[in-house]
Amino acid sequence: MPAIEAVGAEEDPFAPYYFQHEEQKICGKVVSPITDWYDPNYPSVVDRFFTRYYYIKGGAPYQVLYHSNRICLICLAPTHPAYAEGIASVSYDVGNMDRSQNVVKGKAKKGGMILQEDTTLALLTTETGTVYKIPSCIRGKLVEVNTALQTDAKQLHQAAEGAGYFAILLPKIENCSDIISNLLTQQQYDEQLKKDET
Amino acid sequence: MKNQELVDYLASCGVCRVCQLRYLKARGNEYRDMQQTFQRLDVKVDDSDLKPSEDEPNEQPPKKPRLTICSTCLGLFSEEFQSQLIEGISKSDFGKYDSAGIVLAITLPLTLQLRQLSMWFALQRKFGKSSFNDNSAPDVPIKEAVKLILHPIVCSKLGREYDANGLMINIDVRHSVESEEVDQLTELNRVAFPVKKRTEISRGLLEKQYQPARIKADIFEKYLPIPPAAVEEPLQLQSIDLMGPIVCVAGRYRKLSRELSHTPWVLQGKRIMEESIEEIIAKQVAPHFTDTVCKVTFMSSGREDVDVRCLGKGRPFVLEIMDAKRSSLSRQQARQMEVAVDMSGKVSIHNLQVVPREQLTHIKTGEEQKRKYYRALCVLDEPVTVDILKKLQISESFIIQQKTPIRVLHRRPLHTRPRSIYSVKACVSRENRRLLIIDVVSQAGTYIKELVHGEFGRTTPSISSIIGKPIDILALDVVGIDLDWPADVNNAEIEVE
Repeated sequence: MPAIEAVGAEEDPFAPYYFQHEEQKICGKVVSPITDWYDPNYPSVVDRFFTRYYYIKGGAPYQVLYHSNRICLICLAPTHPAYAEGIASVSYDVGNMDRSQNVVKGKAKKGGMILQEDTTLALLTTETGTVYKIPSCIRGKLVEVNTALQTDAKQLHQAAEGAGYFAILLPKIENCSDIISNLLTQQQYDEQLKKDET
Repeated sequence: MKNQELVDYLASCGVCRVCQLRYLKARGNEYRDMQQTFQRLDVKVDDSDLKPSEDEPNEQPPKKPRLTICSTCLGLFSEEFQSQLIEGISKSDFGKYDSAGIVLAITLPLTLQLRQLSMWFALQRKFGKSSFNDNSAPDVPIKEAVKLILHPIVCSKLGREYDANGLMINIDVRHSVESEEVDQLTELNRVAFPVKKRTEISRGLLEKQYQPARIKADIFEKYLPIPPAAVEEPLQLQSIDLMGPIVCVAGRYRKLSRELSHTPWVLQGKRIMEESIEEIIAKQVAPHFTDTVCKVTFMSSGREDVDVRCLGKGRPFVLEIMDAKRSSLSRQQARQMEVAVDMSGKVSIHNLQVVPREQLTHIKTGEEQKRKYYRALCVLDEPVTVDILKKLQISESFIIQQKTPIRVLHRRPLHTRPRSIYSVKACVSRENRRLLIIDVVSQAGTYIKELVHGEFGRTTPSISSIIGKPIDILALDVVGIDLDWPADVNNAEIEVE
């Protein structure tokens, strides 16, 4: 049937993919389609579950993503100078210790390395040859390192917020309020940036 | 040794007729007509005490001049004890339980075990070890005899059947000589087994160590008499406790609310949410079976997050009701419960039915093999392309590596788990090209939210890594659980008939 084929050529290419809700009744009520939950102002994963904090060491800023369950992701702050210099490599071998060998067991994360806020977590080398000692930013137990950065450090340049985490740390519950008061809030960090510009 | 000699000797030791038969190793129904059994075994007995006492039928048993009490069962198998037992059970809450099956659990004094050993020694002395060796007990053990003799009598008197999983009647029986004889036993144990210090006297110890093969009659006799001594008083019923059977009520539930937890959600002693699926269901179902709502356990084939709906045919669940008074549920009653749960507007149940406990394995085992069907509402930063949609039509299964999600990492171990994704099928919203509706079929235990956005690269591959773009999840529905259990029973049909 060539006539139909001719019409098909002008067809909407998305036609085979349009969502069709099937009606169902539960509790005597019509079940609303899942598309009803679309929210144009839906916050990002980081905004939904984390609070952003900052830590500055040697003039370079780092970001701590603090989850509502106190788990912390340690990242570079967006204004870290390494981005401008070009990131060449990341190593968890900090000289006396290889942090990628960290092993945790059980719910209590037994065996995880205990880190202080200034303890070097990883080494980042830029294209210009600068080596940044990435600090742990908080006092806590090392749970996990992002080994993907060892093989491909350049992905940090494109990584979405949080995806470039160096490590996951678990602070003790009783230390959390101290830890947070030692970090810069988003507002304090923004003010710091303004000061630096002037 | 002739049977007659054995029976005569036992009678001279004050052993009752039932226990004489026990020492003749009578089986099952041979205890029903004892006279016939004695005849068959070629034993002549004075049968006056075997016949029902027809001349004094209306007299109460306790008022009768008491016959001598058996030195081996202490009257456990006497008619007096049986009527005491029946009376005790009838006076308890027994009538509140509808269970067709019952089981007796009798806690007996240790002295009965000691008396068995004493009689064993006595028989060895009288008839020699060739007739009664060290290793096989001379009698049908009391525990077994309780099953053979007492159980059928109690069952028929109460009009119930024997069922090991039925209503358990816990009977505690005491005897006045118990403490004195156990004291002797403690002394005896110190002498007979001196190596083990401070051994606790227990039933297990008696069963293990107190056999002729392990202890000498001479030592035993220094503390306790051979054959067992006569007693003045019969056994006393200390208490009767009832424990109803465990009744399992199965069904499937669906959940409409995105603000309803699976089980009560309590954080630092505070309730986060007023209700839960478990409570909404248990509130309507449990009162039919029991008056104590706290003794109920809720189980289901997996669970969904607070903000996830469960649609389609729903998720199989079981309510385990301990100490159940009622053990059956008519389809009309089941339908009433289904309707009542529907009134919550948040949870709906159907296929509600009582199931045998063995069937719980369907829910408990093979959890990882079950397939789960999900529908996810996802959003892209930019409008979708046909190319992206094509990448998300996956009919061949693949395996992802999923690290424990950060949201539960504070209370669960860190693991990387392989999970099978059986298929992915994405559609686009007609109104908004950034909106994708993705149907995923996965192995049970897959974290779907993390599968979508990849959680900072901690789940690989993810929907995000497959399309090479950020994608986030707005809402999730469970649309199917691959478990054909419990059976389809359309309770609603009843109303139409």
